[in-house]
Amino acid sequence: MSYNYFLGCVIPGRLPFLEASARRTFEKIGMKVGDQAKCSCCPDPTGAAQLDHETFLALGARNLCLFEESNNNILSLCSGCTESLKTVKHLLDNDDEKKKEINLKLKSIGKSYKGNIQIKHFAEVLYENIEKIKKLVKKPLKDLKVAGHPGCHYLRPSEIINWDDPLNPKTLDELIEAIGADPVEYNLKNECCGNPLEKSDKEISLSMLENKLKSMREAGADCIACVCPACYQQFDFNQREINKKNNTDYKFPVFYITELIALALGIDTENLGLNFHRVKVNEVMQKIT
Amino acid sequence: MQMVDFEFRNELIKEDFSLNYCYQCGTCSSSCPVALITEGEYNPRKIIEQSLLGLKELLIKEQKPNVWLCCTCQMCVEECPQNVFLTEIFERIKNKIVLVGEPYPETFKSQAKSIIESGLAIPLTQPIIRRRNQLDLPEVESANIDEIKKLLTATDFEKKAKILEVNK
Repeated sequence: MSYNYFLGCVIPGRLPFLEASARRTFEKIGMKVGDQAKCSCCPDPTGAAQLDHETFLALGARNLCLFEESNNNILSLCSGCTESLKTVKHLLDNDDEKKKEINLKLKSIGKSYKGNIQIKHFAEVLYENIEKIKKLVKKPLKDLKVAGHPGCHYLRPSEIINWDDPLNPKTLDELIEAIGADPVEYNLKNECCGNPLEKSDKEISLSMLENKLKSMREAGADCIACVCPACYQQFDFNQREINKKNNTDYKFPVFYITELIALALGIDTENLGLNFHRVKVNEVMQKIT
Repeated sequence: MQMVDFEFRNELIKEDFSLNYCYQCGTCSSSCPVALITEGEYNPRKIIEQSLLGLKELLIKEQKPNVWLCCTCQMCVEECPQNVFLTEIFERIKNKIVLVGEPYPETFKSQAKSIIESGLAIPLTQPIIRRRNQLDLPEVESANIDEIKKLLTATDFEKKAKILEVNK
């Protein structure tokens, strides 16, 4: 079955350049991914999804129905969306009564959830194509020390995500290696970036971020690579906040893994929108060209 | 004095039976990054203990520990030797806080409002649409808002999340 993109809210509505890098990368590795019309918020597993369980299931199931109707699997560009959609699928596929209840709600909009499509995180699909990516590399990102940040919802809860090792993840680092860069080991690799707590306690959120940044710096990283737009925002938007607050000088360029892959595959930087990053990427660009 | 509310406890167990499996070893709290930063003020083990004891007032009204401080990283869920699905239980506690009308963080409310009004947590704005064009990205065909409204009416979301009060 072919894939359609599930874009989510953050990427198309705030960080469209990340979407550009993903689309260009999938094109380059020869994968045709379609667009799914009429999606809503997944809903956000760190936000609205926490308010009412029934609404979480109903909104998520409606999104799944759209893909069932168009007969496509889901290729999600965001870890949060992936977690929400996989959770809804897991809960409905394993509980007939719950499925019946939600289908009763979906009936009001003429839909019915069946459970016959798959959901994949984009990095999972990239990983399935890792050998192809290695072959397509035109400009290996030699000597670039990349701190990979897998993030939480890319991995956990593993019973539902059912993918990389939830406590000792490898896939992101292997993708970094595949494009000739050097994935650095750092102590807090598996820690949360703190983004979700921006909604309830900015102070704690920034402390979590600073701990990560410190650990990345100690490991000698040149830049950060992530696979989730929420993590991306936390790293790219909030280093300045940390610096203001604590008089530090963090300025790690932050990349979506698809941006780094796109660069290594020789995709024209004009099409990537790297100028929209808050932390400037110039130093890294000089290093790799 | 804290009153034990058996109904509250039984409801939570019904919603997620794994709550029953907890033997209070504290692995969750030792794996929790927020517990570490707040020096134990946020404490997942304690939330589970209070859930098992039915200490509703503490969890729902006083919000001690504050369940909204869970960063949803799911480390506790991975590390729990008893397979207690802590984050699921926390979600149900948050649901109850919202339902009875106790205060909850404004950002959650504004996101819910945005979803009700546009179907999206972050609606597309004109500057972003221009930027999308610049980047040669296709137009996003968003959800039909009447359809979203109908579905959210079926789940009674606006009323449950007390969204109308924001508008007043």
